[in-house]
Amino acid sequence: MSSPDTFNAPVAFALRTVDLAKAFGPTQAVRACSFDLRAGEVHAIMGENGSGKSTLVKMLTGVHRPDRGSIEVAGRTLSAIRSPREALGLGIVAVFQEVLVVPPRSILDNLWLGIDPLHRDAVSRGERVERASETLLELTGAAPDLGRPVEELSLSDRQACCIARALIRRPAILVLDEATSALDVATRDRLFAIVRRLAAEGTSTIFISHRMDEVEEIGDRVTVMRSGESVATRARGEVRAAELVRLMTGAEHLTDTGHAQPERPRSAETVLRASGIRLRPGAGEIDLDLRAGEIVGVAGLEGQGQDVFLRALRGAGGVAGRVVRVTPTREVEIDSPWAAARAGIVYVPRERRDEAIFGALSIRENFTLPTVGRDTVAGLVRPSSSERRLSGYVDRLRIKLGRSSDGIMTLSGGNQQKVVIARWLASQPRILLLNDPTRGVDLGAKRDIYDLLAELTAEGIAVVMLSTEVDELIELMDRVLVFKEGELEVELGRGSLTRSVLVASYFGQEQPADV
Amino acid sequence: MSEIRRFLRTRSFAFALLLSMVLLVANIVVLPSFGSPSNFDTNLMLFAPFALVAMAATPAILSGGGGLDISVGLNAGLVSNVLILYLLPHGAWGSAWVAVPIVLALGAAIGLVNGLSVAVLRYQPVIATLCMLFVLQGVNQKIAGAPTASPESWTQHLAEGFGPIPGGLVLIAVPVVVWILLQRLPYHRVLLAVGGNDATAFSSGVDVTRVRILAYTLGGAFAAVAGIAIATLLQSSDGNAGLEYVLIALAAVALGGTPIGGGRGGLLGAIVGASAIFLVQNLLSALHVDAYWLQVAYGGMLIVGSVIGAQLTAPRRAGTA
Repeated sequence: MSSPDTFNAPVAFALRTVDLAKAFGPTQAVRACSFDLRAGEVHAIMGENGSGKSTLVKMLTGVHRPDRGSIEVAGRTLSAIRSPREALGLGIVAVFQEVLVVPPRSILDNLWLGIDPLHRDAVSRGERVERASETLLELTGAAPDLGRPVEELSLSDRQACCIARALIRRPAILVLDEATSALDVATRDRLFAIVRRLAAEGTSTIFISHRMDEVEEIGDRVTVMRSGESVATRARGEVRAAELVRLMTGAEHLTDTGHAQPERPRSAETVLRASGIRLRPGAGEIDLDLRAGEIVGVAGLEGQGQDVFLRALRGAGGVAGRVVRVTPTREVEIDSPWAAARAGIVYVPRERRDEAIFGALSIRENFTLPTVGRDTVAGLVRPSSSERRLSGYVDRLRIKLGRSSDGIMTLSGGNQQKVVIARWLASQPRILLLNDPTRGVDLGAKRDIYDLLAELTAEGIAVVMLSTEVDELIELMDRVLVFKEGELEVELGRGSLTRSVLVASYFGQEQPADV
Repeated sequence: MSEIRRFLRTRSFAFALLLSMVLLVANIVVLPSFGSPSNFDTNLMLFAPFALVAMAATPAILSGGGGLDISVGLNAGLVSNVLILYLLPHGAWGSAWVAVPIVLALGAAIGLVNGLSVAVLRYQPVIATLCMLFVLQGVNQKIAGAPTASPESWTQHLAEGFGPIPGGLVLIAVPVVVWILLQRLPYHRVLLAVGGNDATAFSSGVDVTRVRILAYTLGGAFAAVAGIAIATLLQSSDGNAGLEYVLIALAAVALGGTPIGGGRGGLLGAIVGASAIFLVQNLLSALHVDAYWLQVAYGGMLIVGSVIGAQLTAPRRAGTA
């Protein structure tokens, strides 16, 4: 995987695209994308979901073939990269947002997947083990048992395996397509250190993330995409976050999160009471009184028990303690997800594709499933009734869709998530449990979800929301429960929520480190 | 407990193995002659087609993506008929050195066609291989309408075994040895990776299509070995040759702990699963149980085996326990 010839070009580039375009049926996913990637730079690509970033990456990695345009890489001009295999041969190695692992196979086999031809080992077992250990140690800070099946690992560690698989190939061009969203903060920081080291050694990185802070931290240059076109490329220091947002959306809507915001008045009425929750044997007990109209954040590094806690609130079990739904007239024990649903508690899971979406069904069917009983006359479903109910939410959540009878998979991730949220709002819940609802959702859709949460809490609905995004926690939450190693580390009120206090608390520090 | 789970997950045939051992003891108790050395060879020869057809069904299932080859039983049946009708009676064609490579190629070619329909033309594996099953059944009944006895040939020597080594064992050993050799090649790892998650394998640069085609082809070649076993056993052509093994093969694979979803398991599971089915069949016939109850017994064993297997092998993730 040699670097391109650099003698003639004033600035050496590792890859350049010229007017790439790709349509899927009537949808023009990418209209005209031109950008160049210099050798040894970290080049961020930003844009809302549906702006064509993923399609661009899939053209660079040989998954989709462009309709038009060209790709210059490794000193060659290509009209298409025809397979992932060819892309890998050109030194282009990608890590995607979807955690692509082979669950039953060992860590070692997952890391070296695809490198050997079928008939002989390209790399000796000794070298495989050594380089796998080295790479994972640098990335995760711990030397894992390489024989362990990947299915036993946490989400963050599984994604670390995907990244290690890419690193082990010694890429000339590393593509990180929202690959950091599943990582815990510490692993992400180590990844950034690796990316910087690789950049110094000449590897170029294409970095795609919805997180402004990550792009600011690591991007040398930023190319902004909007509606399938590359609209601008800016160098670091030449551009402010507000301008990037304006370029992406044409609208300015990022609040300043530099300092804490005033506390909001609390209602006295408790709607859900959790007491004596133990996330693991021997851990301290956690109590929570959730009040009407309140929005509570659940946060921490990846896999510190916050996920288990959130699911415990809907009676998913597996933990000690009791959860009680409190209404003015009575109290109901929440001991199963069914009891939770009956008591007006709804849960929006994290893995949209696996746990929330029915991929083969239409948008309308995805919306109506739990509440379809309301659209029936004598047991027969009237689509017009579903349609009416859905259209109310389409306006309210600003869901962008063609026809409601289209497949749910035709929507972007953000709009899919809105449909999932609409589904559960249709059951008129009093308590909403959200598991990282804005993960992989574009800025515009995030904003719509935030607005919706503000409306819902104003109506007296209580929200508990797990979030991995610091800015979101600071902006939205009345209070944040920070988890560490299966314990409630600290509860931060809105008055004390700043970025540095919150991030410091993830690492168990009372005071923010001076940075 | 987690250690036990992990052991069972990596050796998912453990339940079928336990079942087989219990059934073996039961067989010997009910029918003392079953365990005698003189019957050992015969029983192994009777068992060989079960094990071989189950092994032939395994690679397609391992390759994932709903992979399944229903036609392996009749592939074996066709090989058996071709051997007896067209190769053995014709002098030099009938010698083991010529006939065996020819039938292996025939079996592999049938597997290859299945592989191409599934991996290239993207037909549903169940439908594609079911169609192949119908074709093979038709051909079998056409060419072997009237049973014809096999001429004297090396197959009779095979039945007698090679010195102390029973012939059934030799036949069963063929795919096992091939599999052990394959485990030394990246192909085995890649096959299980493709079965475990084909999207991951594809994006990692694996030629998923080729891996799947090879899996079906390999299964076809194993089916040909099963065909040799059937010919050795029957010593006659038969329009319905192999039919009885069609569903038993799939049952044996499942009972042996290989999930139909792919990505886990191996040939050992197929052998152990097949032995449990063979032994229960033997036991029930020794007890003079109505043959129709046999089917009920297979079904029941399979349900119990699958449920227990699923329980034992259910993955547990760190952090969600």
